[in-house]
Amino acid sequence: MSESEYITPRYQISVDEEACGNAIDCLKCVKICLDHGPNVLGYMNKEAPEAPYPEKLEEIDHKIISAFMINCDGCKKCIESCPHQALSLIVPEPQKPRALIPQDASVVLCGKLADGTEVLQL
Amino acid sequence: MCRYCVEYGKGTKWYLNPDNYRADLFQAPGHNTSFDMLSGTYKNNFEVGAAADSEANLPDYNFGGAFNIALENITQHQGQVVPLEDALKIIDLAYGDRFILMHCACRRYFGHKDVYSCLFFDPVVDRVLEQRPWETDSRVISREEAREFEMEMDRLGLVHSIWDAGVDTDGKPPIVMCHCLETDCMPTRIRAHFGIVNAQRKGEYVAVIDRKQCAEGCIKMPVCLPRCPFGAMRYSPLDQVASVNISRCFGCGLCRSACPTTAIKLMDRITYPTLVDVW
Repeated sequence: MSESEYITPRYQISVDEEACGNAIDCLKCVKICLDHGPNVLGYMNKEAPEAPYPEKLEEIDHKIISAFMINCDGCKKCIESCPHQALSLIVPEPQKPRALIPQDASVVLCGKLADGTEVLQL
Repeated sequence: MCRYCVEYGKGTKWYLNPDNYRADLFQAPGHNTSFDMLSGTYKNNFEVGAAADSEANLPDYNFGGAFNIALENITQHQGQVVPLEDALKIIDLAYGDRFILMHCACRRYFGHKDVYSCLFFDPVVDRVLEQRPWETDSRVISREEAREFEMEMDRLGLVHSIWDAGVDTDGKPPIVMCHCLETDCMPTRIRAHFGIVNAQRKGEYVAVIDRKQCAEGCIKMPVCLPRCPFGAMRYSPLDQVASVNISRCFGCGLCRSACPTTAIKLMDRITYPTLVDVW
């Protein structure tokens, strides 16, 4: 890509970790996003566990994450599925063009003016 | 040859060079970050976290160079596709007697049903059992079971890939064999969509189809087509034969195992001058 600052406008999903709690107890949003198709929601442990290491996966605190958001279609099924209303969708503003450059649809190369003057040496 | 085979192959492919299968390499500085991370508690923070955080940090996905360097030098973990017969050779060359079969993080943590497709080699077994006791569904298996497992993965249609624990002057030690698909595997997706080559290097082979033999095979409904996870398989309903787009082929061999004739063969990538540098 070039050095422009243009950023592809994508949806963003914001997760309120406190409202969610331990994601592994629910995972409704993850499942519904997979069922719908985009599969952009996942979950993972908040921190790397330290000694003494937990004996069960459920004892580890998990959070909801999003990835490959280019696939998100903004259906909001995840938002609606959350029993704690922990998710919200941030809708991107459509980018406006950075500059408007008036440009002729076609350029006619003419070598001779109406009065016969040669203007171009081809 | 790919530079890894030139530098680490000692005349053969890097993953078939016994010099790379030295367990002491995992303690050396060029490899211990990867070893500690993959056998320890930080594994998900790397694997799942890498995909999760990349959206916020690099919103325009223009991170190809940085990500490739990070995989090689920082996380010390790169993957390459191998076909079944090389996967079996790797199992035979692998260290010790044990393998540990564990869940695939990409699939579990994105809500798919659990797939036990991650086959780690002997040197990580003890540390994994000690550091991650909550992974009660992982299984320590024997070499014979590992061979059977590889063949089952091939039947299912998952791509075998061999992963190293870093590349350094002392070697490129393999650490795990995984079984990937673009539908649910993060390294496959970041290679396919964002061109992160170190996440999934192409294999040492490309598939080639003998047109005459193919014409005697499936004819109307080619079985090899849906087996190709890389979009390299082509079919002409006019000629009723399949052919391979070798610039897209990763040499996984899944087409070859489905073909009812012997029309599909895997040729060394380097026999094609145009593919010598295409990895």
